[in-house]
Amino acid sequence: MSGFRPTFFIPLIAFTVLAVIGGLALQGTLSGSRNPNQLPSVLIGKPAPDLPLPLLQNGQAELALSAYRGQAFLVNFFASWCAPCRAEAPALEQLSKQISIIGIAYKDRPQDTMKFLQQYGNPFVAIGRDDDGRAGMAWGVYGVPETYLIDASGQIKWRHAGPLTRDVITTQLLVQMAEIQ
Amino acid sequence: MTRYRLYLVLIGMFVIGVSAVMTPMVSTAYALTAEEMLADPALENRARTLSKQLRCLVCQNQSIDDSDADLAKDLRREVRSQLVQGKTDAAILADLRAKYGDFVLLAPPMAKNTLALWLAPIGFLLLGIGITLGMRRRASGAAASAISAADRAQIEALKQHRKTTSKDGQP
Repeated sequence: MSGFRPTFFIPLIAFTVLAVIGGLALQGTLSGSRNPNQLPSVLIGKPAPDLPLPLLQNGQAELALSAYRGQAFLVNFFASWCAPCRAEAPALEQLSKQISIIGIAYKDRPQDTMKFLQQYGNPFVAIGRDDDGRAGMAWGVYGVPETYLIDASGQIKWRHAGPLTRDVITTQLLVQMAEIQ
Repeated sequence: MTRYRLYLVLIGMFVIGVSAVMTPMVSTAYALTAEEMLADPALENRARTLSKQLRCLVCQNQSIDDSDADLAKDLRREVRSQLVQGKTDAAILADLRAKYGDFVLLAPPMAKNTLALWLAPIGFLLLGIGITLGMRRRASGAAASAISAADRAQIEALKQHRKTTSKDGQP
């Protein structure tokens, strides 16, 4: 009977504001447009690390990314022991018709990598060996497969951690490729 | 009965004591292996301290010191190899930050985009103190005048009513 008390509504208003903020924050995750486990790469816009790596087919020769400067290309970290890499093999095969892809075999044994390529196809113009994962570290790789788009000036334009799905390719990769070409 | 209870307490204390001693031993034995460790105890000590500050990017809520993931192992090895090269702790953290971003540090660095994160607890503390002080002041100030004239009249009427009813001998 004490009449209208504005303080009575403060918890209600506070709750509503928090619920709206929480809802907005969740929206991206629920609709699938944002994956909280996907870490953004800090190397976007920076020159691609160019560690010399032994070539898979010929351990004497070295893979030098600088040799590919002047054109856009993809760098794909993969391994024979990685199941999602098998899943994305057809997508890479398809992409290799549009853009050069350089493969880096991440912490794999050369004979296993060879077997993997025989079984699932070889979409790569060149394959380097990152036996101890040190090159992966320089690129900020935290799990295979990971794919990087490098522009003609040798800068990292885009990165995707996880397998390249049809959705990722059409909504992200092809858009980025169109931008730099 | 009392002896039985004493035994129970002793057994309980023993279990708690053993688990308290064992837990750190178990968790360190889990991730870090002997062959990873550096021979120089001072360097190894710094490696452990650094490892506790670095996030394992696969498991994300564990430090590389705790994690048994492959990447955590690689990062531990990288930290140790950079220590052996004579790099400072700050330089090693900066190097990994340049590769993996701020997320690799378990404690978010003070920066423009984390300012709210760092200042919010202080803000909420001040807010809480403010609300508490305000409520206390109001409680002490309002007590005297909380009863209005109309309320007083009603109280008097009730008292009067009670007196008359008790006179009649009713309970």
